Amino acid sequence: MSDLWDRVEPLLREVERPARYIDGEWGAAHRPEPAYVAALVYPDTYEIGMANQGLAILYERLNALSGVAAERAYLPWKDMAAAMRRAGVPLFTLESCRPLTACDLVGITLPYELTYTNVLEALDLAGIPLRAAERTVADPIVVGGGPCVWDPEPMAPFFDAILIGEGEEAVAEIVDAHRAAKEAGASRAEVLEALAAVPGVYVPSLYASADDGSPLEARPPAPAVVVKRAVRDLDAMPVVTCPVVPFMDVVHDRLTVEVLRGCTRGCRFCQAGMVYRPVRERTPDAIVGAVTDGLACTGYEEVSLTSLSTTDHSRLEEVLRRLTRRLEGTATSISLPSLRVDAFSVRMARLVSAAKKSGLTFAPEAGTQRLRDVINKNVTEDDLLETVEAAFREGWRRVKLYFMIGLPTETDEDVRAIGALVGRVVETAREAAGTDRGAVKVAVSVSTFVPKAQTPFQWEAQITREEVARRQALLRGSVPRKGVDLSWHDAEQSYLEGVLARGGREVADAVEAAWRGGGAFSAWTEEFDFGVWERALAACGVDGTSIANRERIVGEPLPWAHLSAGVAEAYLHAERERAYAGETTSDCAAGPCTGCAVCGDLGVDVVTAGERRG
Amino acid sequence: MASGEFRLRVRYRKDGRLRWLSHLETCRALERAVRRSRLPYAVTRGFSPHMKLAFGPALPVGTAGSAELLDLLLVSYVPAAEAVVRLRAASAEGLAIEETRYVEAGLPSLAASLTIAVYDVRVEGVVADRMKQALDRVRRDGRLTIEHKGKHKVYDLARSLPKEPRVEGIEDGVAIEVAVRMGPEGSLRPEALVEAALASTDADGAVMSVSRTDLLEEAEGAWRRP
Ligand code: SF4
Repeated sequence: MSDLWDRVEPLLREVERPARYIDGEWGAAHRPEPAYVAALVYPDTYEIGMANQGLAILYERLNALSGVAAERAYLPWKDMAAAMRRAGVPLFTLESCRPLTACDLVGITLPYELTYTNVLEALDLAGIPLRAAERTVADPIVVGGGPCVWDPEPMAPFFDAILIGEGEEAVAEIVDAHRAAKEAGASRAEVLEALAAVPGVYVPSLYASADDGSPLEARPPAPAVVVKRAVRDLDAMPVVTCPVVPFMDVVHDRLTVEVLRGCTRGCRFCQAGMVYRPVRERTPDAIVGAVTDGLACTGYEEVSLTSLSTTDHSRLEEVLRRLTRRLEGTATSISLPSLRVDAFSVRMARLVSAAKKSGLTFAPEAGTQRLRDVINKNVTEDDLLETVEAAFREGWRRVKLYFMIGLPTETDEDVRAIGALVGRVVETAREAAGTDRGAVKVAVSVSTFVPKAQTPFQWEAQITREEVARRQALLRGSVPRKGVDLSWHDAEQSYLEGVLARGGREVADAVEAAWRGGGAFSAWTEEFDFGVWERALAACGVDGTSIANRERIVGEPLPWAHLSAGVAEAYLHAERERAYAGETTSDCAAGPCTGCAVCGDLGVDVVTAGERRG
Repeated sequence: MASGEFRLRVRYRKDGRLRWLSHLETCRALERAVRRSRLPYAVTRGFSPHMKLAFGPALPVGTAGSAELLDLLLVSYVPAAEAVVRLRAASAEGLAIEETRYVEAGLPSLAASLTIAVYDVRVEGVVADRMKQALDRVRRDGRLTIEHKGKHKVYDLARSLPKEPRVEGIEDGVAIEVAVRMGPEGSLRPEALVEAALASTDADGAVMSVSRTDLLEEAEGAWRRP
């Protein structure tokens, strides 16, 4: 095994934040002489990647397998990448400081569309051929996964295989299949076929279109449609209670315990809500046990109870009461991510200490009831104002609100209504704050709706950049200034996100061209250069607007048609129709099944730890 | 410090790869080690309580330390010998706990009482005589101007360098023991001193490593470990 440390260390003198590259953290796993090494790569810097729970889970699962070592790798910051290239040092894993090329498997998560160029930067820095077609049996297999797999086509040529869905069970099957094929002396093609036989694994090279523009077709034995993986029983999947504890100040530097998975409130714009169905809750005993064990093992001073909607957990109150009792006097805080808009959530936030410092976060998403019905955000203005009132009476002085512009059917009236609603929130907050009214701060974050694959809005047109600018101006004019802090998503980044979120394989050339043109770290606002992408798209003959800004005809082949999140396309279509009719759909975790078809087909079912409140 | 609290002084090393940690990173890592050790640490009162923990002077990134110090307040007494075992088991390699002992509650803080830092600087490509000459020359000047990140700083060496550095020949170069007096206005970085000395006499040589070997307090003209 080649350990690059002696060549890495001299570079640390010249770079910012050397702690990114040194390993040695508490909880880092060092397996001596493993038979099989998997590198888990996050395509951004250490301080961003260390927060990723998916990789933390896979790290633990893989290291638990006999003969297998999982090691971490992150994209070095630009100063270190330059120093490495100058010194001829390839991208290395932290634990054993071995080059990625010396690993058997390189797993790369796809957290966000604008990190795609970073994936290529990582592969290039590692000295691994960018395209799967150029790799030989001597190269590691490059496997993707994570939040962007629901239309992975713009990245498909760069991956040997992509896991669709939840990884904790599938990852061992992938490694087993690969090891067995290797031991049998399989060729690269045979290895890929073996991987394609693992349920949930998509091997892009086994899917091709007969001619330009026609849909991708599977080459047997690859399945015609790859259906996502989902675990049945979350309690049976151990929580990672001894994760790596970073030295460096990373984002979300705290213990994370996932209290439930999935959300079926059914927001029609929300990809996570559609693709991570059904709801599966952990039991209070499992959660309390995981928090206790996790804090003891890591020494963290904060724990976050995460999920898509933690305040929906049917026994959250019991969990929080038990935890606050246990943690008394230890200067340990509990945090809850974004809250549901209701008084119960405020009460829950009050139970925990951390929230008061940070303020509360709510996501009404749209300004009018009509539009909230269209997107199935079952929140009324009264809910919001009552919740805000309760929060400010309880002593909170800051609240953050998330809104979107560009939702289907949105009119100028809807946009202006956001401003009016914010105005009423500010008024309500001030009144409730009484003599402390001057301290009231309302942060308003407005993103542009980006239609995503495998959602009811997958056929929708994203509004154009010009239209974004116009609606932003409209909104700016309608939001009160005093006490409000308004922020936007960059229109050009949203546009590219749209191109990459619903593009086909033809977009891959443009991704590569953008990387070659210097487009790494596009997710960083201060590094993002739209010109690089414009030139790349033009050079590759890709019309981004026809991907992002065009409404699809229902029935038109979609680039992700061979991949399924388990939700029936008929359901997505029906939900879209209901959206246009302004009809809402109820939450199947608190009521009857609404027929999305995930449960029957995938052998999974809704699991709650108690009765949910509707 | 509240009454009924016990002040445990912890001596630790920071070396190997972990010498690349910043002071803030080191503090956080040690605080988490204390939590993992399950020692009965004291916490502050108030809105956002935190552990009562106080550190000695910061080490620059890249510099190792073999006798670093922190004070930890405990709410109940744990024999020092047990505390050291528990802390050791909870610490990352590279931040090894060496020794713990209880000190009087009323002592001044480490930051206030520690005034002398002793360093071991390893230089490659120079012989002992040459290095000595170079250091003597700088000392004779009495003042040293160091440029750091575009700023110039003047050190009064009679104050900053209270003792003649000791130079010893080793394989490929020299080992220098330098004692530096720290102060609220900042302290002279030993590698800056050595580099300035080498430059002033046009001597070859490159600083290979720096580690802090001791932290001392001054009392009645003598130096001693706190
Ligand atoms: S199949 Fe029914 S119960 Fe299961 S997630 Fe879909 S709507 Fe909910």
